[in-house]
Amino acid sequence: MVKSTTDCEGPASAEVSRRAFLSTGAAGVVLAGAGAAEAQGVAQRYWDRSADIVVIGAGVAGLPAAITARDLGASVIVVDENYDIGGRGMLSGGRVHLGGGHALQQKAGIKDSADQIFADWVRHDTADARYSDRDLVRVFADENVATFNFLVENGVKFTERPIGPERASTVPRTFITVEWHIPSQVIAPGRARAGSGLVRQLELAARQKGAEILLQHEMKSIVREQARSGNALGITSDHNGTVVNIQARKGVIIATGGHTGNVNFRRTFDPRLTEEYQQACMPYVHQGADGELAAMEIGASLWATANQTAEAGSAITKTRHIGCRWGYATLVYEPESPMFHLAKATGLTVVDWQDVIFVNQAGRRFWNEADGSYKFFAAAMAYNGDPSKLNGGGPIWAIFDADATAREKWNPKPPNVDPDGFFFSADTIGELAGKINNPHQKKPISSQVLQETVNRYNGFVAAGVDQDFKKPTPMYKIETPPFYAAWSTPILHDTLTGLRTNTNTEVIDIHGDVIPGLYCAGESQGGFAQHGLARCLVFGRIAGRIAAKRTA
Amino acid sequence: MTPRAATHASVIAVDGPTEVAVGADFVLKIVSSCPAGCDLSGVQINVKAPDGTISIAEPATGGADPAAPRHVALKAPLEPSEHIWRVSCTAHESGGNHHDASLLPVPIRTRPYETSLAVWAIPSPVVTGKLFAIKVGAKSAAGCDLKGMCIAVCDEAGAVLATDVLGDTPWPGTSALYWCELTLVAPAEAGMFSWSVKFDASGLALPHNGASSRFSIAIVRPPEHRLTVKVIERETAAPIENAHLRLGAFRAATDGSGIAELMLPKGSYDLDVWKSGYEAPTTPIALNADLAVEVAIAAVPEENPDTAWLM
Repeated sequence: MVKSTTDCEGPASAEVSRRAFLSTGAAGVVLAGAGAAEAQGVAQRYWDRSADIVVIGAGVAGLPAAITARDLGASVIVVDENYDIGGRGMLSGGRVHLGGGHALQQKAGIKDSADQIFADWVRHDTADARYSDRDLVRVFADENVATFNFLVENGVKFTERPIGPERASTVPRTFITVEWHIPSQVIAPGRARAGSGLVRQLELAARQKGAEILLQHEMKSIVREQARSGNALGITSDHNGTVVNIQARKGVIIATGGHTGNVNFRRTFDPRLTEEYQQACMPYVHQGADGELAAMEIGASLWATANQTAEAGSAITKTRHIGCRWGYATLVYEPESPMFHLAKATGLTVVDWQDVIFVNQAGRRFWNEADGSYKFFAAAMAYNGDPSKLNGGGPIWAIFDADATAREKWNPKPPNVDPDGFFFSADTIGELAGKINNPHQKKPISSQVLQETVNRYNGFVAAGVDQDFKKPTPMYKIETPPFYAAWSTPILHDTLTGLRTNTNTEVIDIHGDVIPGLYCAGESQGGFAQHGLARCLVFGRIAGRIAAKRTA
Repeated sequence: MTPRAATHASVIAVDGPTEVAVGADFVLKIVSSCPAGCDLSGVQINVKAPDGTISIAEPATGGADPAAPRHVALKAPLEPSEHIWRVSCTAHESGGNHHDASLLPVPIRTRPYETSLAVWAIPSPVVTGKLFAIKVGAKSAAGCDLKGMCIAVCDEAGAVLATDVLGDTPWPGTSALYWCELTLVAPAEAGMFSWSVKFDASGLALPHNGASSRFSIAIVRPPEHRLTVKVIERETAAPIENAHLRLGAFRAATDGSGIAELMLPKGSYDLDVWKSGYEAPTTPIALNADLAVEVAIAAVPEENPDTAWLM
């Protein structure tokens, strides 16, 4: 049954707030907003808002959770720290990897089944699937067709051309959503951000069905009855400096999108991932591990952490747009984007890696530039002789010349490049070295070292053989002035581990017990390392369903 | 009875560079203080340059903080050396107390400006004994006009192979890269050679260090035979345009028919084909006469999420 937004209680008066508290059945006073560790009787607070379900994050997991919970009659409040919805899904290519034999697969003549999905995604012969929790994979497989149908029923449109098989899959399962029809609502318009058609349509459906979405509400903590025991009761949030405590009578669903933006947290899994690395979808989406940290504060555990460092999938990617701070593969913020004032440049899109060499913070080449494998990333992040920089490899710079700009048809000027620390030009290579100045470049690059690096590479080009790194047929010398250095530091993309849940998406604590009333879906959920939108959609639906059915 | 005034020290502290380029403008930040806490902000402080010129460090303006540094703009001498600036105040009365004179020597080293070089338009490969030309440019870190300055090209042993002077105008697209074109004679033997260009900066009005940079040239025997290469896609047999071919120092790119022709001397070669998004085997070639070969390359998805697996 669909209800109107008035089913959500709030903004609440003190009286309503107290009533909301009393309805939880908890003894004593309402303690919200101080975090579980503080919620031991220090400060008495009241709920400002109340709903059956509170979803943290209005993205690819949070929106289907909200819709599903509303379909089952629960009142829903969705909070998101951003000024707009969508999370990383807004900026994605909209490639939805759902199979099992759904209608579009059938139309394309593709035979598939839930069992085939399971068989593919528990394969031992690929790291894409090897380390996943097979209980979660089984549920994922069983829910594929229903999730696809859910999307269609809620108005999501797909192109009918199947793509694949991809990664561990053995049959084509990827279908692309249709980009949202209003360019001003796409965030990165003009660049085939088809994911906007997914999240905007889900937002529309969620709002029409009565879910309330509170933007610029940053979750600060999850409130539990006691520090390490009892039900999850709600959340505290910050709305432009004002504390807003929101009660969840049935459940809190964490759908915060992962942890790659949190340097301290991501280094738990890989100490090399220091502060200099780019993040996919910044600056629109932060991925600050907020959900993971808040849940761990009240006892939650992580799960299947090997997935993060299995060197499979897209945990780390090569930059494709160089000379700007954020150069993720297909994502370009054009000047028309509302994010451009933060992104500052579109970047120069590299078509042919023969046109540049990469040097590390010491001014030395480190690998074959045409390679994009994890061997490349390992070399980029290797220790390179700076005793003050033992972890992480420091910035990576693409070095090229005027001939390369002509071949690539680049115009190396703003708004295409960001000269404020991410792009430099000079009349000679020696002069270029001295100009490279970036907060992550702790020491200047030696002019002599960079000149020698380029001279040596040019010699390889003349001879036709890269004696250092076996770049195939090194093609072009870097010799014609002016010369350029463009920020090309690798990009952290997928969060592939997160909170431990059971197959009902209930969060599990460090003792293996369920935290009652706390759920997790999306990239903050650990256990299933499949890249992309599908697992977020599937487990988002499950979280919304299970939470809505919970007896408050 | 009026108490007798005390005698205090005057302390001068200076913050500034330890090294600057000759003739460069720089700033010293000067703070004067009394250990007893007297306000010395009104005291005159002089800065005596190495040539005897005296500048007055005016009190900081726009704030009431007596500890605010005074900024003195100075110019470095043109001679590369270590120079001493002397910062001083005379004995004075401040806050009702006598303060001794103070003198602080400030050593600053001056260094010549750097120069750097670029070498480009080097043909590759070059046939033994043939004339060929290269372009060489020089740049002053101070952006000085370098026209008429001498450039030399030397072989591995340091013997001068050619000299010329830099032209009147900078290379297009650069701020001050003065350049010239030099003609050289290829060695009589085939092989890889590493030569160097040298720039002698002596004679510039502003002292500069000279510069040297090396470059590589591939020297080959005269061509004898024609090699015709056709590149096709392995599955479809479709011709591949703009595939790059390398046989050591020799190179070519395929046309719209997937064909490229090269003139080569006799010999054994490894034929490598490169095109982004394709994988190609290395093909051994034994060239004793004109030869035509076909190379099949395979399209492969790039291991990159933007082509293989988008979100």
